[in-house]
Amino acid sequence: MPRTLAIALLSSVMFAAPASVAFAQQRPDQQAFRSLYKDMVETDTSITSGSCTTLADKIEAHLRARGFTDAELTRFAVPDHPKEGGIVVVYRGTSKTLKPMLLVGHLDVVVAKREDWIRDPYTMIEEGGYFYGRGTSDMKAMDAIWVDMFERFRQQSYKPQRTIKLALTCGEETSWAFNGMRWLSENRRELIDAEFALNEGGGGRTDGHGKVLQQSLHVGEKMVGNYRIEATNPGGHSSTPVRDNAIYELADALVKVRDHEFPLMLNDTTRAFFTKLGQSRSDEAGKAMLAIVANPQDQAAEAVLNRDKAWHSMLRTTCVATLLDGGHANNALPQRAGVTVNCRIFPGVSYETVRTALETAIADPRMTVTKLDDRGPLAKPPPLTRQILAPAQALVTKYYPGVPLVPTMSTGATDGIYLEAVGIPSYGPPGLYGDPDGNGAHGLNERAIVAAVYTGRDFLTELVKAYADPRGR
Amino acid sequence: MNQRYPLIAATMIAGLSVPALIAASATAAEPAALRPDQAEFRGLYKELVETNTTLSSGSCTLAAERMAARMRSAGIADSQITLFSTPEHPTDGGVVVVYPGTDRKLKPMLLLAHIDVVEAKREDWTRDPFTLIEENGQFYARGASDDKAQAAVWTDTLVRFAKEKYKPRRTIKLALTCGEETSGAFNGAEWLTKNKRDLIDAAYALNEGGGGRSDADGKLLVQTIQVGEKAYQDFTLTATNEGGHSSAPVRDNAIYAMADAVSKIREHEFALEFNDTTRTFFSKAGPLYPGTIGKAMAALAVNPQDKAAEALVNQDRSLHSMLRTTCVATLVQGGHALNALPQRVTVNVNCRMFPGRTSDETQAELARVIGNPGIAIEQRIKDKPIAKVPPLDPTIIGPMEQLSAKHFPGVPVIPTISTGASDGVYIAAVGIPTYGVPGIWADSKMNNIHGLNEHMEVRALMDGRDYLYALVKLLSSK
Repeated sequence: MPRTLAIALLSSVMFAAPASVAFAQQRPDQQAFRSLYKDMVETDTSITSGSCTTLADKIEAHLRARGFTDAELTRFAVPDHPKEGGIVVVYRGTSKTLKPMLLVGHLDVVVAKREDWIRDPYTMIEEGGYFYGRGTSDMKAMDAIWVDMFERFRQQSYKPQRTIKLALTCGEETSWAFNGMRWLSENRRELIDAEFALNEGGGGRTDGHGKVLQQSLHVGEKMVGNYRIEATNPGGHSSTPVRDNAIYELADALVKVRDHEFPLMLNDTTRAFFTKLGQSRSDEAGKAMLAIVANPQDQAAEAVLNRDKAWHSMLRTTCVATLLDGGHANNALPQRAGVTVNCRIFPGVSYETVRTALETAIADPRMTVTKLDDRGPLAKPPPLTRQILAPAQALVTKYYPGVPLVPTMSTGATDGIYLEAVGIPSYGPPGLYGDPDGNGAHGLNERAIVAAVYTGRDFLTELVKAYADPRGR
Repeated sequence: MNQRYPLIAATMIAGLSVPALIAASATAAEPAALRPDQAEFRGLYKELVETNTTLSSGSCTLAAERMAARMRSAGIADSQITLFSTPEHPTDGGVVVVYPGTDRKLKPMLLLAHIDVVEAKREDWTRDPFTLIEENGQFYARGASDDKAQAAVWTDTLVRFAKEKYKPRRTIKLALTCGEETSGAFNGAEWLTKNKRDLIDAAYALNEGGGGRSDADGKLLVQTIQVGEKAYQDFTLTATNEGGHSSAPVRDNAIYAMADAVSKIREHEFALEFNDTTRTFFSKAGPLYPGTIGKAMAALAVNPQDKAAEALVNQDRSLHSMLRTTCVATLVQGGHALNALPQRVTVNVNCRMFPGRTSDETQAELARVIGNPGIAIEQRIKDKPIAKVPPLDPTIIGPMEQLSAKHFPGVPVIPTISTGASDGVYIAAVGIPTYGVPGIWADSKMNNIHGLNEHMEVRALMDGRDYLYALVKLLSSK
């Protein structure tokens, strides 16, 4: 779960909610799940010292032991990245007309150094109501829930109407290495074809003391685009400086990038987000949220919302300078100066539109603005449909009575972007939840709330069944 | 000639119209046949040039020993020759020679030259950089110009004095040192000022930095005396920020803060100032410049408040730099990840401080201009002294001018300051005023010193040698 913010921004909102579901004594099925989850967490899948392929091997063995066959299991890895493999599982449904659904999880974790952690990051320890270990939260709990769910479906001889697919991939936490989801979308499109996908990104947050305050449904995300703005100059000796200088030109451009505000935009998800959140609060910000949904031209309301950096980013494309370099010697006038601008592009806006906007804002023909990285085709924003929302809402009411379900758009990026690029809308369902501090995801002493994992597992199992059997049973 | 900008070459040669120039001796066609003393000098020069003295693969110590041997065999006593080096830098040695004068009341004069050279890669050069080659009236080799021409002439001068049994009134000292072209390695001139101050004590020193310039046709246009130099300092500007995730950016950003700061540095003009040297330069060189800039130079020398004249003069980047402290952003670096808000941004601001200006006052002015206490400013060079401005002393300048009129009739002699920096800064800092002498001249491309195929016109070296020999003799005789 890199670069997601939408969930955290709800954390400060106080909803009246009952105490979270009390955690019951472990059931036998929960004990079996716990063992699988522990095995997955204890398999290091970091890019430096681990192997996703090894974990995929274990998952495959697990599934085969429960009767899954060659026809249902597809392994993949590319020769250049032998340790970054994954697995796709297909659990066939009965309907010939309903399109499949796809469950998605990334197996890789952010690098964890033993010396930085209190406990061994690759030993799962349960203590004080938490599971500790790298990946316990991001995102091996959901991975284990998906695998365990398939095993139980097989045990129960469950026959869904829809075919249910599972893709467990590597490379979500890295931007430079192999990305399994992208590879599947580009090379095995038919294998993962689905009407929609369920991924990380949604879920709930507590008040920090175990009380669940809200659940969110993640619907769409901003795209990442990196651009380089560069100035060149003949340079010369620094003892006789002149005004025309690559660093100064770049400084002018940077000031313009800072001052450029992309136009305000709303989509179904952010409209629903601001409506729900706005209704729940009586302060100036709450009023502004409702006002902006009613009239996106309301500049006073916009100004209020822009004071919060997360809301500001949710309302538009943002671009910010992140890396700066220039010059070649202390005593020489610079021949080149450049900056990398990291943009978070509102769903539906193209990379080129943003590049042109930067170029126009800078308005200096001596500067070049080029797009740096290839992040694949443009993502199609997933629609916020009743088909997706209604079952999720029903289960939130059942499992977390009184807790609101809020659709969110993340300002960061998940692997869902690759699915959306090939026309598979991706959603982050509610169900699991964490603490407002993020539970140490990407950081030290990562942990998951024990009760959240077990409750979320039950919730997600019901949710998958509800989606898989749209005609009811 | 470290970090020196060829001021005269850049300003005047480009600006001068040829007819406006002085009738100089005919351009070089065929190399004149060498006199016997010149042939002997050529051997010394060749030996020095062919001794590799780069930091990476050469030895100044060896070059110093070879020059010492030449002076010893000319009759200079061992007791007057001090070879020096430190255990940490065994190949960065040098030599100091004392040629005693007869008048004990006269303070000695010091001849200074550096014997190290800038790196030269064989594969980049047309010719072997450490073989002296004479071709079409030019000597080619690394160091042929910078600064082994001067070093060889000083050594040769003492060799000739010894052979002639010349008895000067004023004691003449010679210091050949290593490390002028490097920054951070051993600097012989600096070492001498700190460890052998008495040995090099002198009323004044003659150094590189002056000299003549010829035009593209080889015609000698002007002779210069370098009187003082701007001081070099790098300031490191640092902006810090708590950073954060780039998906929710805010206006408060270290890169943007630094963009504002460098824009203010660009807009800031340090106050115009003159000293005796630059005032003389502007009034004397003004008539040599064509058109409005020349008139403006002369007007500005008379009235520094003449804003219209200043605006005209400022159009010339070298003249602009000569009139004030300049500071310019040369390096920028910031941020740590594509997807993270920057936590730290640094900029190097390179300043050339007007003679006499200190790093502290320049730093204070930068801080005031930036006007953001969140941006830290630090001096990168902490141990380099500020040179005292040498006076335009007529007892030194006068003989230089007189002899120039004789050796280079009709060629103007103009005092300049250097916008760069030489070893003179160390010598001047311990109270020995240091002057860059006229004499040897460089061509319109500054002989491509520091670059490929460095060269030296044979005539410029031989005529310059005659001038310098006469100059040392004249200055030491009174």
